[in-house]
Amino acid sequence: MAFAIVASGCIGGQKEEAKVLWLSTQLNPPEERVFVQDELLSKFTDETGIEVEFVPISYSDLSMRLESEVQTGKVTIDLIGELHGGLDYFNSKGWLMDLSDKKLEGRTFISTFEKYSTIGGKKVYIPWMSATYVMVVNKKAFDYLPDGLTKDDVMKGTDKWTYDAFLEWAKKLKEETGSPQVGFPAGPKGLFVRFLHGYIYPAYTGYQAKAFDSSDAAPMWNYLKELWPYVHPSSTTWDAMSDPLLKGEVLIAWDHTARIKTAIVEKPDDFVVVPVPRGPKGRGFILVVVGLAIPKDAPNADAAWELIDYLTKPETQVKVLEKVGFFPTVKEASGALPEGPLKILAEGVAAQAGTPDAVVAMIPNLGAKGGEFKDVYRTAFERIVLKGEDPATVTKELGPKLKGLFDEVGIEVP
Amino acid sequence: MERKSLLPYLLILPAFAYLLFFVGYPLVQALFLAFTKNGVFSLDTVRKTISDYYFWSALKYTIALAIAIVPTQLALAVVLALIMNRFFRGRDLAIYALVIPLTISDVAAGLIWYSMLSPYGFLNKLLINIGIISQPIYFFGYQFRSMEFLAIVLAEVWRATSIVFVIILAGLQMISKEYLEAADVFGASYWMKLRRIVIPMLKPSIQSALIIRTLFAMQVFGIVWILAGRDIPVLAGEGFYQLTEIHDYGVASIYALVIAGLSILLGALYIKFLRAEYLEVKV
Repeated sequence: MAFAIVASGCIGGQKEEAKVLWLSTQLNPPEERVFVQDELLSKFTDETGIEVEFVPISYSDLSMRLESEVQTGKVTIDLIGELHGGLDYFNSKGWLMDLSDKKLEGRTFISTFEKYSTIGGKKVYIPWMSATYVMVVNKKAFDYLPDGLTKDDVMKGTDKWTYDAFLEWAKKLKEETGSPQVGFPAGPKGLFVRFLHGYIYPAYTGYQAKAFDSSDAAPMWNYLKELWPYVHPSSTTWDAMSDPLLKGEVLIAWDHTARIKTAIVEKPDDFVVVPVPRGPKGRGFILVVVGLAIPKDAPNADAAWELIDYLTKPETQVKVLEKVGFFPTVKEASGALPEGPLKILAEGVAAQAGTPDAVVAMIPNLGAKGGEFKDVYRTAFERIVLKGEDPATVTKELGPKLKGLFDEVGIEVP
Repeated sequence: MERKSLLPYLLILPAFAYLLFFVGYPLVQALFLAFTKNGVFSLDTVRKTISDYYFWSALKYTIALAIAIVPTQLALAVVLALIMNRFFRGRDLAIYALVIPLTISDVAAGLIWYSMLSPYGFLNKLLINIGIISQPIYFFGYQFRSMEFLAIVLAEVWRATSIVFVIILAGLQMISKEYLEAADVFGASYWMKLRRIVIPMLKPSIQSALIIRTLFAMQVFGIVWILAGRDIPVLAGEGFYQLTEIHDYGVASIYALVIAGLSILLGALYIKFLRAEYLEVKV
């Protein structure tokens, strides 16, 4: 039962002085913390009189703390902000409250998120923010489109917008401008590995990891080998694509929405955000969903629910998109966006999510093994594409290691 | 009498306790992480590490970087110290300028060099504006590993030559003038004096400088990480990567132990082969 607040600002009973302890694995960078503290939470406290302590935390620390609190029966955490995968795992351990009987008025959650947040009939979390990885195209690149591909195909993500067409485009760009114009964030802190397991693998094999060493994987790796000469050679040192796009080092880039936002905001007239190309098995892309969940026996569950209510209001969601680049999970927020760079981003994201041939990938939750998972793809890429080894040999060698990670954690191979 | 013999031990006790607690304990823990699995002795982690694709590469690059960097630094430092050991106008200012890099952290040095050599950095901008090149020269990227290697060597030489320079200069100033005056009496040339007197007398300083620099060269990390990422893997970088990205404490410990082992070995070799002979009485 949601507990009704008396008029805001009035001093009520003991409950009014509740202090919500909110642990989050998201919005941890310093500038994002400041935004949470100074803008989001101070407004919430003004409105409701509820104090909130926001604690940024890593997934492994959160997992350990939650487990020990539940086991000792001394739960102090009121609210958790975490990715879908982590919350799915916490739920499987029975550490989370069922939120089915709680209602949020005046907002409609996007159906995909609704679907994912209900696991086995239990409402595990409330979708809070989302993110994805997209392609950004400098409008100049449209002057070099290959035959048979139109700007409209790319913008809408039609059947013609394939990886093969992308290769032709990259080729033409290099031939006619004199230097490679496609960029990937393949540096040590870059997210290129997400492109490998969540985009091009599903597009060619239908799975992220299940078909890692299958016969469908070899053509994909050979495709990447063919594409690489048309990719900017500094890609292996780039961690984020905003700067290379703004400096005009590349005309087309793929990256996380939060990491290209700066480019769009600074030069909204130069760039468009488009869906990624499709492969033989469809258009593979990753959907990142961040949810809000309440642990079982949380001391201030009612106050935490009020914070959930506040964080999923359309106007709060728009503010989050403007400041930190995470996308809304409620439909009303998208409608509230003003014309400008963020609308360009949001439209690109919506176009990608709305393509009929979508193969949605969720980042698998391997906890502490997540690093090893990424390392397998990274190593395969380096050996096959950069060093020229045979794809079948390398994937056969690394495949068992990859599947072993899933066995160790005890989750299905995606 | 009793108390007198105990005193030296008491005096070094605080330092020793500190080392035991902050160096000895982590070292023992690293050994446990590296050589045990579920509490029993096991070589699994060692096998895992040496079968890792990056391990040999990291070992190779760490040694290659040390070979490229340390002798260059030593030669440069000796030349600079010989120049600065003479009196000329502005000498003090020149010495100050030379030791500025001492005050800069390796991460900051890496960033400085990155901004100079990046595709749109100072150097490329300058060359493009003068009209020497039309496309930027790439120093960074997997395809340009030899350039990355060069950039790392340049940055490391720039950053850490000063410490060698300071040690060598101090050594030069310790050499008694009498030896050199005696050599003058016998009509020795400058090179002769350098070869027969100055360099032999500098040996203790050179030994200290070499040991310090080689040990740090084994730990090279910050500059490499910033300029080349994992294009050029190095031992310390892989240890960091295993710890923070892969969360494999055992493998990370092995990297740390390999660095420690290499350092001990090289230190011992220096001490063995760079004995300062003139201090030994020859009968």
